Amino acid sequence: MSKSTTTRKNPSATVLIVGAGFAGLGAAIRLQQAGIRDIVTLERADRVGGTWRDNNYPGAACDIPSNLYSYSFDQNPDWSRSFSGSEEILGYIQAMVERFGLQKYIRFNQNVTDLAFDDELGVWHATTEAGEVFSGRAAVMAQGPLSNAGFPDIPGIEDYQGHKIHSAAWDHDYDFRGKKVGVIGTGASAIQIIPELVKEAGKLTVFQRTPAWVMPRPDFETPDWQKTLFRKVPASQSALRKGLYLAHESMALAVIWDSPVTRMAERLGRWHLKRQVKDRWLRRQLTPDYRIGCKRILVSNDYYPALQQPNCKLITWPIARLSEHGIRTVEGIEHQFDAIVFATGFDVSHSGTPFPVRGSGGRLLADDWKRGAQAYKSINVAGYPNLFLTFGPNSGPGHNSALVYMESQIDYIVKGVKTILSRNLKALAVRDRAQQEYNEAIQQRLAKTNWNSGCKSWYLTEDGFNATMYPGFASQYANQMKELDLRDYSLVTA
Amino acid sequence: MAKIDLDKMLTKVKNTQWALSDIDWEAPGADLITEEQWPKLKEFMADLMWIEHVGARAFAAMAKKAPTDTLRELYTYFHAEEQRHANAEMALMKRWGMLDGDELPEPNINLRLVIEWLDRYSDEMPVYVLGTVVPMLEIALDGALCKFLLDTVDDPVCHQAFEKINDDESRHLGVGFTVMEMQGHGATYIKMVEMAAQLMDPRLILGIASYFPLLNKMRDNVVAMGLSEEKLYECMRKFEKIGGRTEDGRRNVWFQIIKQHSRWVVDRDNRFYHAPVDAIVRLTGYIPRKALPAIPSWVRELTYKPTA
Repeated sequence: MSKSTTTRKNPSATVLIVGAGFAGLGAAIRLQQAGIRDIVTLERADRVGGTWRDNNYPGAACDIPSNLYSYSFDQNPDWSRSFSGSEEILGYIQAMVERFGLQKYIRFNQNVTDLAFDDELGVWHATTEAGEVFSGRAAVMAQGPLSNAGFPDIPGIEDYQGHKIHSAAWDHDYDFRGKKVGVIGTGASAIQIIPELVKEAGKLTVFQRTPAWVMPRPDFETPDWQKTLFRKVPASQSALRKGLYLAHESMALAVIWDSPVTRMAERLGRWHLKRQVKDRWLRRQLTPDYRIGCKRILVSNDYYPALQQPNCKLITWPIARLSEHGIRTVEGIEHQFDAIVFATGFDVSHSGTPFPVRGSGGRLLADDWKRGAQAYKSINVAGYPNLFLTFGPNSGPGHNSALVYMESQIDYIVKGVKTILSRNLKALAVRDRAQQEYNEAIQQRLAKTNWNSGCKSWYLTEDGFNATMYPGFASQYANQMKELDLRDYSLVTA
Repeated sequence: MAKIDLDKMLTKVKNTQWALSDIDWEAPGADLITEEQWPKLKEFMADLMWIEHVGARAFAAMAKKAPTDTLRELYTYFHAEEQRHANAEMALMKRWGMLDGDELPEPNINLRLVIEWLDRYSDEMPVYVLGTVVPMLEIALDGALCKFLLDTVDDPVCHQAFEKINDDESRHLGVGFTVMEMQGHGATYIKMVEMAAQLMDPRLILGIASYFPLLNKMRDNVVAMGLSEEKLYECMRKFEKIGGRTEDGRRNVWFQIIKQHSRWVVDRDNRFYHAPVDAIVRLTGYIPRKALPAIPSWVRELTYKPTA
């Protein structure tokens, strides 16, 4: 059901962007560079930064080298390390807003609660929690796939009376010194938090369900000469970026498909574990029992050593429940804590949407995605004209920088918006058939990947449907996003 | 015992968890252990605790090789539950003043050898080997040792703990026999030969070499405590009866092998079996402790303390 705004005949903006994180801001920059300046960006918080604003737990850093985890159109010669911390990445995002003058587009504290398409006017209306309605001829959903985090559904979680902290909403006022602290989870956030917490906590207990593949992290401080070189000869930084890009592309052979390179990567992971962990039982507890790449690969040099500190203990017994004072595990022991850190990840929506999205004729995206999210080239959905997704279905990278994918999506959005404007379209709507054919091909390709090789991960739905990852090289993805093929769309002129 | 739905069983297992702190270990009744009982009970409890603990380790190995996700999760839970039993039994020993401070009871040499084997080789074993040995040991525990303990000991806390332990064990057995039948299902002659061929694996032979004397030593210990051999025999018959109740179960070669072996174990008159195995028990008694590698770190996870 579209919301009719009979009083507003003209859209208030050309493009409506939901979210002022990397994707939303990047889209605004590229639209602006294409001469489209009538933009409204709705941000639920009072600051920009998205993931990097929220994930500022101790040790938070990127898993991809900063020279690749940044926009090619806004390179930063001053990264302090090869893998920068969250604060520096957030600084880069904030500086981007300054450099490109994006402040004027952003409406802070506007949490979108409903996004609806008006077929008659060819306009998207976003209703926010504050009760305001913003409109745009095109809408970009850039709210991020990993932006909603909640405490996990563990029995007894309400009974626990100690301090609860979620990795994605860190409590910087809590003093961990000398405290008994439990950490639930051993994923990407946890392995960054644990080496920091172990330095402060009196006793740290880590609860692991599934061990991850952990690879060495080639992290080092950037020498001054390199910064100077990058500043004076920007082409040198672009060359490094290209080199990093290609190196990561080659990792697809290990990560995405089962190949001899996969075995080599597994050997490297086992070597890293054996080199850092001498105790056979601990090594067994930390050895993954699934093929590398099936779940997210982690990189760390200090996680394994942290687990072996005298004040740290790894628990692999299943958790039975939380109790008033701590965590009861199945071996019958209650582990009592002053605070529990939940590094349990995010609520990844494989089928739903973070807020109701109503398309043509009032159809609900959550209904259309009930059996698993689907889109055309990850970016458009049939029945939802003029709507563009960033990190939509099957656009997740397993081996390369998310920003490489994001750039392709953003440039596609610019093409789409330019088409709407130049042809004065009321609706640029991807055809059902095009979407269906695209997804059949994607699912066929996914069946042969490591992600679908049998492990349980957040990439898959409960039924094992993969609506998350893109089964190919980043270059293949970029290639498919190069052209906006109008034969796959139906165009309705205004 | 009908064949069970493993998914439903997993849900049931998750919903029936208990912790050591559910039991008041300070409750009255500890003095019901008689002075005469005490020394033998101390040895019996230590053996029992160690059997639970090595059983736990066997489940850990089975979890690695489980053919389905459900079984993998069940075995992961059973690994922890057997550890819980060992912890609870240690808590009873603490209650009865049988622990030397915080020290673990010393495992006998045959247990040490089995622990060593489990640590080194159990993860490499096919799931159906351990999947048949473990139910046999559990039925012996469940049917003979625990019952005997409850008949002999009046302490209500002991009864309270073993009521919970026995509930867990009956679920373990239910799954154990179902898996044995799954393994025998549709077994062709070739598959049966393949299963039996594992006997030639030197790692398994080492396992057998440490397992046989352990059983004989345990039997001697429990008999010394007053358990009649007839009760052990009844348990073995129960194992034979349930394990062999279906065609699938009988087709499981390992069921046949272990059934035959359990008959030898309980038949004291079988000199061909007992003379050499008892000799090994005596021989292993001469192995100097120092010759053995350090106790693996998983053993140190045992605790009698309900909270950590």
